[in-house]
Amino acid sequence: MSRDQLAKMTKIEVVVTGATAPAVRDLFRAAGAAGFTSMTGVSGLGHHGYHQGRLLFNEQATLEMLITVVPDDKVDAVIAGLRPLLTSSSGVMFLSETYVSRPEYFA
Amino acid sequence: MTGTPVERARLRSDVAVAARILPMNWPIDTFIAVNPAAGFEDRSFGTAVADIGEQLGARGLPERSLFRAAYAANRITDVDLAAALGRRYPDTVGGPPIHLGPRRSDGSPLWVDPTDLLLADLQLATAAAPPTRRTLMLSERIAPTVADSVDAHTAHWCAAFLDTGQAGWPMPSGETGFFQAWRDLAPRDPRLPTTSRRRIRALPADSDAAALTALTDLGIPPDQHRSYLQAHLSRLPGWAAHVRWRAEHTVGIDLVDYLAMRLVYESTLLAEHTDAHRDGYVHETARPGAVPGWPSEGQRARDAAAALGADTVPVDDLGRAGATLATMPPADRDLVWLEAYEFHYRDRLLRSLPVVTSGETGPLRRPAAQLICCIDARSEGLRRHLESRGQYETFGFAGFFAVAIRYQDLAGGAAADLCPVLIAPRNSITEQPMAGTEDRAARLVAGRRALAGTQDAFHAAKNDMTAPFALAETAGWIAGPVAAAKTLTAGRYGTLRDRFRRRVAPDAPTTLNVLVGVAPEERALLAEAALQMMGLTHRFARIIVLCGHGSTTENNPFQAALDCGACGGHRGAPNARTAAAILNGTDVRDHLNRQGINVPADSWFVAAEHDTALDRVTVLDRHLIPSQYHAEIDDLVADLAAAGGSLAAERAATLPGAPPLPTPEAATAHVRGRSTDWAQVFPEWGLAGNAAFIIGPRSMSAGTDLGRRTFLHSYDADVDTDDTALETIMTAPLVVAQWINSQYYFSTVDPEVFGAGSKTIHNVVGGIGVLSGHNGDLQLGLPWQSIGNGDTLIHEPLRLFTLVQAPLERIERIIHRNTVLQHLFNHDWVALAARTTSDSAWQRYTPDGWQPWTTPEVSPT
Repeated sequence: MSRDQLAKMTKIEVVVTGATAPAVRDLFRAAGAAGFTSMTGVSGLGHHGYHQGRLLFNEQATLEMLITVVPDDKVDAVIAGLRPLLTSSSGVMFLSETYVSRPEYFA
Repeated sequence: MTGTPVERARLRSDVAVAARILPMNWPIDTFIAVNPAAGFEDRSFGTAVADIGEQLGARGLPERSLFRAAYAANRITDVDLAAALGRRYPDTVGGPPIHLGPRRSDGSPLWVDPTDLLLADLQLATAAAPPTRRTLMLSERIAPTVADSVDAHTAHWCAAFLDTGQAGWPMPSGETGFFQAWRDLAPRDPRLPTTSRRRIRALPADSDAAALTALTDLGIPPDQHRSYLQAHLSRLPGWAAHVRWRAEHTVGIDLVDYLAMRLVYESTLLAEHTDAHRDGYVHETARPGAVPGWPSEGQRARDAAAALGADTVPVDDLGRAGATLATMPPADRDLVWLEAYEFHYRDRLLRSLPVVTSGETGPLRRPAAQLICCIDARSEGLRRHLESRGQYETFGFAGFFAVAIRYQDLAGGAAADLCPVLIAPRNSITEQPMAGTEDRAARLVAGRRALAGTQDAFHAAKNDMTAPFALAETAGWIAGPVAAAKTLTAGRYGTLRDRFRRRVAPDAPTTLNVLVGVAPEERALLAEAALQMMGLTHRFARIIVLCGHGSTTENNPFQAALDCGACGGHRGAPNARTAAAILNGTDVRDHLNRQGINVPADSWFVAAEHDTALDRVTVLDRHLIPSQYHAEIDDLVADLAAAGGSLAAERAATLPGAPPLPTPEAATAHVRGRSTDWAQVFPEWGLAGNAAFIIGPRSMSAGTDLGRRTFLHSYDADVDTDDTALETIMTAPLVVAQWINSQYYFSTVDPEVFGAGSKTIHNVVGGIGVLSGHNGDLQLGLPWQSIGNGDTLIHEPLRLFTLVQAPLERIERIIHRNTVLQHLFNHDWVALAARTTSDSAWQRYTPDGWQPWTTPEVSPT
């Protein structure tokens, strides 16, 4: 299967603290995203230094990565909602082109 | 559709950011202590205090009168003030003496140390004006009665929808969600003008669109939506904070729904209000500059110099003195007072700790038993009294004992999440009858259901429209004498009631399905993690008691606040039972042995529960304890009873109405009476007084009376080879302790906004919280009777002081990679002192590095 047979969409990846994650999930839903994937306890090095990964007894302080894929007509709404959230708290957002084989799942 | 997708998404985002000023307000039956100002932890404590004042209209610091009284009582001394000044303004305090002209007394030159000048200024400073919310709703500015009406309607509908079963009639249409139900019902509200009802009937079907429409009608430009939403959220922070909790834990309501309703009320009612003149209205969000009313530096210098005995201060000297005082802005002076108040306690705490030479080992004999208690400050009293009775060792660990469980008891009611709210339950544990005792278990369950059914029927009859008459006829003859007995002879009534309950529902031996509920590999890892965290990896006693805790009180909506916070505001017995079962498993013992934790074959873990209202420790699951331990258990139970009696006598000294200097027996009888007294508003003091958290071996504090003010978490740096144990302690138990500490702190410094007012006028609403009186905001924090008695404050509002015995670079590493700890320590929400070993000097953590803990000397004035 070549890329021409796939549907082009936008992938939005967000890394925020566990405490901010519910707001991001709410925003995804409100902007019409059909679903999302989340990974808790992610670690890494960022603007504010190293961030610890999974903690044994604290799921709120660790970072969570949330990934959604949306068609073009929903991208602006997601971005419009995410930017103020990320301006006022720590977190990052990545946007990239992506291709899916079943676009109806993401519409 | 009103509002484009972009506008709606931005609204959601604005609501989420605006709501950060709110805490989570849990339902009262699982009261969770939280820092009500947690949303401000991303900035320094001093800045947060200012922001809390402007955004919530709440105090973030104790009133000056508290500091004045403490100073008069030598609870704050000049040494304490000098220490606080030295830490905040080291360059100024270390500067050269300042000339203040001739002395008034004899004309000789007056030279003063900068510290003395600052001290004089602190003494002269007038109290800051009470904080006021600066970002207001439009109606608050132009038609305050409309704002009050919006609040009244808000409280009315929130109480109706959020009810969890207390109300006789549920809210009609509640199953459709809050906004839809309100939209259906509000147009029928006769208290509203006809045109308002018509406008509500014509609202868009979803709350996002309704909120955007209302914001447009109110004339709020999009770039001011966030602060305007904050103005609405801060009017009734208790209800809003509970809605915030609901939105994250259930369905049917979120803050957009809540705000949409408020905004619609405001816009429609303002439209009706003929006195509302909105011409020229500007929504103000900007922080004003200099606060009016503060004296100039020159004036401060003149006043301080006069207080120090100066006659006429030359202009140049006055300028130098003014420049010195300028380093301490007027708004910071209460922070200095607070830090002095804290230093006094902290310095004495450090001095009170025993001196233990590094390498000195503990007692070589095998302890008679080891007791592992919750870190809860109340455990310190029990541990101290038990240790004083002989060869007992005690440890501190979070009271859920590392098992995050969803627990269902034998009666099969609603399952409860028994774990810190920082994590979700990871295992489902069910209580089951012991094999061969199913008949007894069935009788127990039937008895409990009969008791619960009788109680439910009585309350249902009371709340019914007609049944109360029949109830009075049939049960009135007994209800009156029972009420009299509960009031006049609470202790005896409690004993009789317990006997009756045991007769109807006699105890039956049960066990927990731990082998099914927790996977083998998980059991092994949990056991290893728990023992490593508390440093209990060798020299095990024959009996090791895992002692959870709970509190037995009567007619107390804040019961959960007295239970175990690490168990989600529940009693800790199920966690202790689960952990004991895990640690006694042969597969777990094999795993521990492979990891170098050699638990002797003759060691047995026993579950127990400490009732903090009764000072009684009950050994649980005695039927599961092998017979060879029974004699030792009996000895331990006797010593625990004696320790409990001593603790009861110690506590009685501070309980209002308790007999003075009671014997342990009299004190035990007294606290039992209190716990069953339905009119008792001071069943126990809970964690009032909490002020410090000690992480390290018990040898750091053993033998010292810490006054039940310290959380104690056992830790041995030598066995924590990869920082994991300390990191877990600092990112979980420490965080929970800080929540508890902050709950007490803010409930004390602003009982109106962050506390719950007096219990005597509380009304439980919807089973979710209390109101002060019959309407208004849902109360956020602790009642006054948890922190004070009359005009006397029992709890001292001090920020948490953490002591750690571990290599300093290890502590720094952990802080560096955890933002939550950077916020707490770098922003002055929690203070930290540490030492590498027991004979190292204490070092004070600062964002710029460790500083020796020192006590300044102050020249006599």
